[in-house]
Amino acid sequence: MEKVSGERQRPDDAPKGIYGPDGEPIFFAEPGVDRMMAVIMNLASELWVANERSLPADVDRDAEARAFIDRVFAPLREPKE
Amino acid sequence: MTLELQHAMKPRPRPDEAARGRFVSGIRSFILNDLAADLHHAYRTRAAGKFRAEHGHEPQSSAEAHKALRGDPAFNIYSSMRVQAQKMVWASVADGVARDAARLEAIAAETDADATVKLAADFVPPRNARAIDVHLMPGSYTGGEGMAAGATYDRGLAVFSMGLMGANLDDIGLSMAAYIKARYPDFSPKAMLDTGCTIGHNSLPWKKAYPGARLVATDVAAPGLRYGASRAKLQGVEADFMQMASDDLQFPDGSFDLVFSSMFLHELPKKVRAKTLQEAYRVLRPGGLMLHMELPPNGQMAPFEAFYLDWDSYYNNEPYYKGYRDEDPRALCATGGFAEESYFQFVVPSIGIYGEEAAKHAATSDAAHAVGAETTGRLADGVMWFGYGAWKK
Repeated sequence: MEKVSGERQRPDDAPKGIYGPDGEPIFFAEPGVDRMMAVIMNLASELWVANERSLPADVDRDAEARAFIDRVFAPLREPKE
Repeated sequence: MTLELQHAMKPRPRPDEAARGRFVSGIRSFILNDLAADLHHAYRTRAAGKFRAEHGHEPQSSAEAHKALRGDPAFNIYSSMRVQAQKMVWASVADGVARDAARLEAIAAETDADATVKLAADFVPPRNARAIDVHLMPGSYTGGEGMAAGATYDRGLAVFSMGLMGANLDDIGLSMAAYIKARYPDFSPKAMLDTGCTIGHNSLPWKKAYPGARLVATDVAAPGLRYGASRAKLQGVEADFMQMASDDLQFPDGSFDLVFSSMFLHELPKKVRAKTLQEAYRVLRPGGLMLHMELPPNGQMAPFEAFYLDWDSYYNNEPYYKGYRDEDPRALCATGGFAEESYFQFVVPSIGIYGEEAAKHAATSDAAHAVGAETTGRLADGVMWFGYGAWKK
């Protein structure tokens, strides 16, 4: 069968300039920030994996993971009025 | 929360894989609840006003809400993180699926599941299914070896859903079937067809709702059909899985009493979608029901809420999603051949979250037919499913 997975199809009304030359969406004015965001999330994930190894068996891992995420990513929240 | 699949094909993750899946579910919950609330706040307090200053009016459509939000810091953060989290969903299950290929085949052989699957010789899946990585899933639903794509989808959905699509990932099917049973107690189908079933997770609840009826589940992607057949066998549900396109059904006229789909129509190009509804009409018997669980239409939502759902069309490789949501479902049913007056729509609360009584209550209340801005179609705290259909006279 013809291999075409990975091809880009876009909505007819997609605004101009929302995808980069590689087809990936761009959000920040400096496109490198989008890639840095992905790196930060990957790093946080790997840090959590290492952190979970040290948790006692009887700890609620879902709750701990969520608390970890809230701590690490708190600076991204909108400032409270 | 991390969902554990309810059948023997569930993953046996190594500790690091389980931790990675837990992180991805958690970060998605953070994005879809906390950052989504920030996004809404930024729209109300910043983006909509800035748009008004530039255009003389507030955003009046999904497209204008999109324009208003582009460049806003809350939108950039939400969107950039959501794209990466989606990629991390599939990455978190990839190693386990590759490791389990032989085990999945052994289960299929043990359960004789392939006997319930009919793949079409020389069938080429349509480009909308094979030409793009739908939902950013690498290889999409039609690629890869054996049942890998089906397993990736099942395991990925368990991470993706954060427990909000039911313990068995079948909350849509359960909720829809409960609504129809309560709303139309005299409806008693003998033959039911699911078009675009993927792995059949929302097909099987209909067999449980109407155990005397034959259930046929169809899709264009062979890996999901084979995986779905094993999954059905393991859960003790009798169903036939067949490979075919929804716009070219291989059944005689008047073969079914119920033709349904779940989160499927928005994946189809416009012409295919129209033909799909015509085919549904053709294979229904007189008195039969066509029913679709779908995203609510843009025409029934405020601009921000409409764009909140349309986001996936631009950034989650679902190119037909917004075009579908711009269509009027009543008119769409009419293009299929259904009389306009036979159209109905409803919003049913998730059975998994609100319980069966809530679904039954919705079925007996006409107030449940309106689309709610905050929760309908959103995978966040408080899930409501939108459905619509029409009867063939």
